[in-house]
Amino acid sequence: MKRYLETGNFAITEGAILAGCRLFAGYPITPATEIAEAMSINLPRVGGYYVQAEDECAAMHMAVGAASGGLKTMTATSGPGFILYADPYGWAIGCEIPIVVLNSQRVGPVSGITGAPGQGEFYNSRYPTQGGNYETIVLAPNSAQEAMELTIEAFYLSERFRTPVTVLADQLITDGLEDISVPETDEEKEAMGLRFAEREFHKGPEFYPPTDEIDVPPVVLGKNTGAMCSDWTPTEEGYDIETVEAHHKHSYRMIYKIRNNKDIITRYETLFVDDDPDIIAVSYGTPSRSVKTAVKKAREKGLKIGMIRPISLWPFPDELFSQKTKYLVVELDYDGQMVREVKRAAPGGSEIHFFGKCGELPTVVEMHETFDKLLNNEPLRPEGWEKEAW
Amino acid sequence: MDKLARKYLRARKIPSTACSGCGLGQCHKALVKALADLDYEVDDIIWGTSIGCSGRQTFATWNGDNFAGTHGRVYPIARGLRIAMPDDMKIILTVGDGDAFGIGFNHVLHSARTNTQMTVLVCDNLGYQSTGGQFGWTTPPGIVTDSSPYGMSEPNWVQPDMDVLKILKEAGATFLARHVSMDGAALVETLKKAVQNNGFSLVHTVFPCTTNFAKNALGSRNAVNIFNWIKDRAAPLGEETEDTIWRTGVYHDASNSRPEFSQALKKQVSDIQRRFQDEGSH
Ligand code: SF4
Repeated sequence: MKRYLETGNFAITEGAILAGCRLFAGYPITPATEIAEAMSINLPRVGGYYVQAEDECAAMHMAVGAASGGLKTMTATSGPGFILYADPYGWAIGCEIPIVVLNSQRVGPVSGITGAPGQGEFYNSRYPTQGGNYETIVLAPNSAQEAMELTIEAFYLSERFRTPVTVLADQLITDGLEDISVPETDEEKEAMGLRFAEREFHKGPEFYPPTDEIDVPPVVLGKNTGAMCSDWTPTEEGYDIETVEAHHKHSYRMIYKIRNNKDIITRYETLFVDDDPDIIAVSYGTPSRSVKTAVKKAREKGLKIGMIRPISLWPFPDELFSQKTKYLVVELDYDGQMVREVKRAAPGGSEIHFFGKCGELPTVVEMHETFDKLLNNEPLRPEGWEKEAW
Repeated sequence: MDKLARKYLRARKIPSTACSGCGLGQCHKALVKALADLDYEVDDIIWGTSIGCSGRQTFATWNGDNFAGTHGRVYPIARGLRIAMPDDMKIILTVGDGDAFGIGFNHVLHSARTNTQMTVLVCDNLGYQSTGGQFGWTTPPGIVTDSSPYGMSEPNWVQPDMDVLKILKEAGATFLARHVSMDGAALVETLKKAVQNNGFSLVHTVFPCTTNFAKNALGSRNAVNIFNWIKDRAAPLGEETEDTIWRTGVYHDASNSRPEFSQALKKQVSDIQRRFQDEGSH
């Protein structure tokens, strides 16, 4: 095991290379630039390629293009770059090409605040491209160590599901210095629960694998299989004849290969949820760390408060919200995004509340004040706001 | 074409989905003929296509490996693919004027800068014809289209003083040429040179769109009219007259004079890898 005191950016790079990433396409953007820099140093040492593109749209197209040629590839960015991924992200979904995308969320919209954490891309990561008719896989770490581990998991899932996987981090994870353990031996990898999958390729004779099964290799160009990667609705022969029947089959595949195998993807952490808590706090990413401390301290004071931390955000883990209680959803945005999913997933009669903050983490004191208000049935109204924020 | 088509194209895609009378087939045929003359096999080529008539009607026609990219982005897809695919295969792209000179132009410039091996055949129907006939970046002055109903008033990129091929030359392209689709054997010869350049080649070829361009600009879908209209306005470089819009021939041939992007990158990577392996073994 190698130990470092390093940034999340460094940890993500280590994870990607361990997972077999051999091409990274970058475009400088705060706070993900260091991933590109670390990749440019480390990839060539293992025979991999760092390429830099003229914009994020081209960067992800290069990464997907290389993935369509059989390499395991990755790209990393932040919000303003993530929206420019929309085009190639759609291409990768439609062509069913494995690739890993990292988004280190900062404060938006648009350029916003570059060096501070946000969580405004919760829905954007669910719908990274236009048109609908697909499911996406999104994993959200809350530490540098977990960012490394989930990057490896993202490569694993992308291969098994033939689809892009997004690791949704934030500025504090990627920029922050933390203790990181990088496994070296197979035993160490296994002990960490890491999973790996090799790239294989579809042997034909069809243009691509016309199935909703997982664990079927993706199309790889350059193997002389007569393969086709196309952004148009393919028929089973691969030609675009724009039939509704063909589109139904294609959409079904893109949706249900993920929905039908959700148990392989779902990850979460729960704390004190088995004794009918009066409040369940819900949070992902870095705010979940101060929320967790607040929940533990509240328990020490005798308050019945629990916590749910979704780690896989999409498909959304509805099944975690089976209790009828008060939910407090804590997010790094003011508009309230994940809270809407919790409202949808929680049983009728539950109370759904929202605590939003952006650019900095909620404090333990703020959490305790909020718990108290909820327990006393007082409204949650941020200072200066006329209504409860959500 | 029949013998060539049987060897190189998918039977399912012949005849193509282009409108009858469309000149795109001439561009497509010239390229397949060039590949046949050079004795390429189906396995030697990965063929990419873009959006619009030019991409759509050549989509999935190649009997080997194919891809169809998002609008204007086939160039970065090709740059990534070029690194991953076997060195001895070539990338061919058939794209439109809107794709290469509009939405994808920045990517074309960077493909030229890096001298990435790809032969880009820009099949130019003088505007956006698959969407009904709007003006584009090569539409001649005064021409009526669905979005220039009073005549095209903007300058374009085939004017001698601001030719897109000049820009691409300065950007680093190593092979550049222009033709009209009825150039026949001359177009085939140019394409053979383009494909043999181990770097970035672009051949700009104007072809007649009978359905939309001809209807809007000439008031008639008569194929002979538009074929002659284009032919009369094309002349080989050095033989141009006052009426010439398209000066045809090879504009720039620096084939194989600069390192190819993916090969240069692979060389650098293998040097670095060796250096660190050596250091590691000390
Ligand atoms: S619209 Fe014009 S360019 Fe397009 S296929 Fe028809 S004739 Fe050809």
